[in-house]
Amino acid sequence: MELSLLPQELRDAYEAFQAALDACGDLDALMRLKGAYIGREGSHAARMMDLLKAAPKEQKRELGASINALKGKWEEGLRIRQAELEDARKRQASLAQAWDPELPPPTPAKGAMHPLNRLMDRMVEVFRPLGYHVEEGPEVETEAHNFDGLNIPADHPARGSADTFYLKEHGDLLLRTHTSPVQVRVMQRLAPTIEARGGIRFLAPGRVYRKDEIDPTHSPMFHQVEGLLVGKGIGMHHLKGTLDYAMKALFGPKAEVRFRPSYFPFTEPSCEVDVRCPLCGGDGCRVCKGSGWVELLGAGLVHPNVLRFSGIDPEVWSGFAFGIGVERTAMMVSQTPDLRLFFENDTRFLAAMGGLD
Amino acid sequence: MLIEIKALVQELPAVANLSVTELCELSAALGFPVDGVSQEGGETVIEVDVTANRGDVLSHRGFARDLAARVDGKLEPLACPTLEEGAPLMPIHLRAGAACPVYSTAVLDLGEGPGTPEEARRFLASMGTNAKGFAPVDGSNELLFRYGHPTHAFDADRLKGCLIVRWAEEGETLLTLDGVERKLSPKDLLIADDSGPVALAGVMGGDSTKVTPETRRVLLESAWFDARSVRATAHRHGLHSDASYRFGRGADPAMARTGRDLLARRLMDWGGAVLHGAWTAGEVPEASAAIRLTEGTLNRLTGSPISLEEAKPLLERLGFVVSQGADGLWAHPPTWRHDMEIEVDLAEEVLRMRGYDTIPMALPPLQGHPEPLSANYAQRKNLALRLAHLGFHQTVTLGFVSPEIDAEFMSVLGVDNPQGGRTLVNPLGVEYSVMRGSLLPSLRSTAEYNLRQGARELRLFEISPVYFSTPKGPQETLKLGIVWSGTLGGESYLSPARPVRSADLVGIARDLGLEVLPQVHELGDGVFGIEFPLGELGRPQDRIIPAFQAFSRFPAVERDLSLLVAMEQSYAALRDAMTQVLPKDTLQSLACVDVFRHKSLPQGRQAWLMRFRFQHMERTLTGAEVDGWIAKALEAARTHGAELRG
Ligand SMILES: [Zn+2]
Repeated sequence: MELSLLPQELRDAYEAFQAALDACGDLDALMRLKGAYIGREGSHAARMMDLLKAAPKEQKRELGASINALKGKWEEGLRIRQAELEDARKRQASLAQAWDPELPPPTPAKGAMHPLNRLMDRMVEVFRPLGYHVEEGPEVETEAHNFDGLNIPADHPARGSADTFYLKEHGDLLLRTHTSPVQVRVMQRLAPTIEARGGIRFLAPGRVYRKDEIDPTHSPMFHQVEGLLVGKGIGMHHLKGTLDYAMKALFGPKAEVRFRPSYFPFTEPSCEVDVRCPLCGGDGCRVCKGSGWVELLGAGLVHPNVLRFSGIDPEVWSGFAFGIGVERTAMMVSQTPDLRLFFENDTRFLAAMGGLD
Repeated sequence: MLIEIKALVQELPAVANLSVTELCELSAALGFPVDGVSQEGGETVIEVDVTANRGDVLSHRGFARDLAARVDGKLEPLACPTLEEGAPLMPIHLRAGAACPVYSTAVLDLGEGPGTPEEARRFLASMGTNAKGFAPVDGSNELLFRYGHPTHAFDADRLKGCLIVRWAEEGETLLTLDGVERKLSPKDLLIADDSGPVALAGVMGGDSTKVTPETRRVLLESAWFDARSVRATAHRHGLHSDASYRFGRGADPAMARTGRDLLARRLMDWGGAVLHGAWTAGEVPEASAAIRLTEGTLNRLTGSPISLEEAKPLLERLGFVVSQGADGLWAHPPTWRHDMEIEVDLAEEVLRMRGYDTIPMALPPLQGHPEPLSANYAQRKNLALRLAHLGFHQTVTLGFVSPEIDAEFMSVLGVDNPQGGRTLVNPLGVEYSVMRGSLLPSLRSTAEYNLRQGARELRLFEISPVYFSTPKGPQETLKLGIVWSGTLGGESYLSPARPVRSADLVGIARDLGLEVLPQVHELGDGVFGIEFPLGELGRPQDRIIPAFQAFSRFPAVERDLSLLVAMEQSYAALRDAMTQVLPKDTLQSLACVDVFRHKSLPQGRQAWLMRFRFQHMERTLTGAEVDGWIAKALEAARTHGAELRG
């Protein structure tokens, strides 16, 4: 093929054709290339036809042959590429149809909060609208905070080494047996400013220890959520109203709550609070031992001695306190058969029980 | 406490009208929930849970007395003629003051009788006790369950001289009925005769004076002992008997004579005994002082009006002697109640009789501003949620571990944390004896457990206190511990598998915002762990949202630079050297994105692919200026021995 008769720009176009053809990634690009090379107007081919018309007669034959050969090469190249691209488009379309969305995609790892923490957080949420904040206290406590300040006399059986863990080298230190010492600590701290604050109300979730062997219903460590409210003119009706709200918020608006008298050294009057057995609805079953009620928490009006110990005048201030057993509640709600599952930390249990929300 | 319905009805006939369910509900409403119902020899027996302050309820009659007050029923009168008392047949000296103010006794000759009647045998069986067919034993047990007053019988012929109720002397001993030699302390109240101790008062009798088949003559004891003294003695000797249980929770001093009469009656009726004489040393103490109860208190406690006129008969039904004064009610508690000290105690009784269900419900008004949720709590909760979303499972493990494991981790962590002050006096076992100095031992064993269970990959964390010994006692620090182990990926066609590496934990620590990265510990078997105090994490800021920071809207330019560096090159040093020569505001990031180590590289060298990202705040960058910066960065890298990889 004789290209020397063609001007430089057409020779460049010839040189660039194959690369441009290869670079066409889709049919649109190919159509643009086709227009540029062999289109009716303004294309390289149209320009060559103009050249041919204007060429001297003796060159016409040779030039015409070259132009035709070039044009033919372009047309063939474009046709083949077009077929390839159309083929690819069809293949892609069919691949998209054949794609199985059930094939496992990469999934992010899923963790879980511990069910006991999740439940305690839920309890905090329930009491938050009532103005309760969160307080904490140490797990290694003094006898004064754990017992004396709570009106528990020195010869009370709970103070013995059969029930309470004591620490070596520090005679009066023990592992707190309930979250109630937080009451004493917070009241002592806030007593000087109680008038300005208008009272005290808080929740204290935490771990507590009692000397129980590990079995399906006992653990030497378990959790409680303590609540305390101190104000002016606080009575049993306030305690009942608060716990009725809380139990309904936790267990649903139909939850039925029963208050019955009980005894704790640090409250007077004292009560225990039962909810209708969620398993049998009150007909009686294994969980509620046939009574139709499940005991959930202990509560009462703060004993005047407890207020006095913490520097709060019981003639002016009164209050209520309650302590919710977290494991007990969790086991009841979830019907978990064995307390030990909460401390075994099998991730299958945690994932199913703790979840995320 | 076991209560046989039939025996209960004998004390309070009104109960016969109640179904077992109604009785259980009534009992619970009085503060004594029923833990179980069973059938014993054709009779229904319920198990009643009595609170520690109500020793007076620990019998059929005591329980019936509380029920009677609530249902306004009448107790059957005690079917027992009072014995006529005469001159003491043996001197009894009470030398322990208020710990034993009254001691009733009788001396009887044992004889041949019809034996323990069928009705009593059956009742004892219902109470879980076998009848011995011996009147002094069966009679004492039967009246304990029925009336709640502990009694004792001595072999009168083996008592010498006189009986003395006194505190023990140092060095005295007593062989108790159960065959154990007890070393007594001056805090033990005892009964002695001229030869020495013969019984631990209210707890257990002595072996030398016990009643045997050979016994011909008995001396009965029906006294009242102070609850604290009995509790302390029972506790000191680990000796918990039916008697110490009841005296320890407060018995009724007025029952001293009656108990003696009831027991003597049984000996005569069942055992054909003949009474020689009955007498009492001391006196039943005066009733406790009156307690005042006002209408104001009742109203404050319940938020509803309760008149003193309504309260008075409720207290009287419980046995209080009540008078109404201008300033309220004045109530003397009955001899059997030891739990009445202050006004609210009385108020509680009124509420108990009315029923807690009659108290209205109200939410207390908010007085003052609510406080914000504590920052510590919010931080902990958010952290747990965040880690859970990152695929970690939160664990809760016991706070104590074995001394060996604790010591192992203290040395791994390089912490001097003596165990002495963190050790329990009375642990459940040595493996639970030390308050842990680190969360990692518990996390490691939880990881091992889960891996044994077939977990392919494991991410765990725990937020709990750890303990550090100080002269004042263990100091608690709240820590976050994280472990990661197993194989990452490989479960999808798009994610290749690789083992978890310590770098994964470094990434988490960085992501949580730790300024000083904690050391990653290899805990064996591909388990990696970190631990640090929560205090090292940034706290939520005071601002609700942070202050605005401007950002560039001009295009960013990214460049890669492949460097050959020494194997021991410090990454931080090289990165800092390059960062220093680059325009601070324009360099958005500089990081090593690939490490290549291969034998094709020069000896002792590795290749790091450094990626630069530039972005100007106010204009588009030109290629030439970026080229200039890269050249400067390369220059800086060369001062650390790095060279451009060809
Ligand atoms: Zn049930």
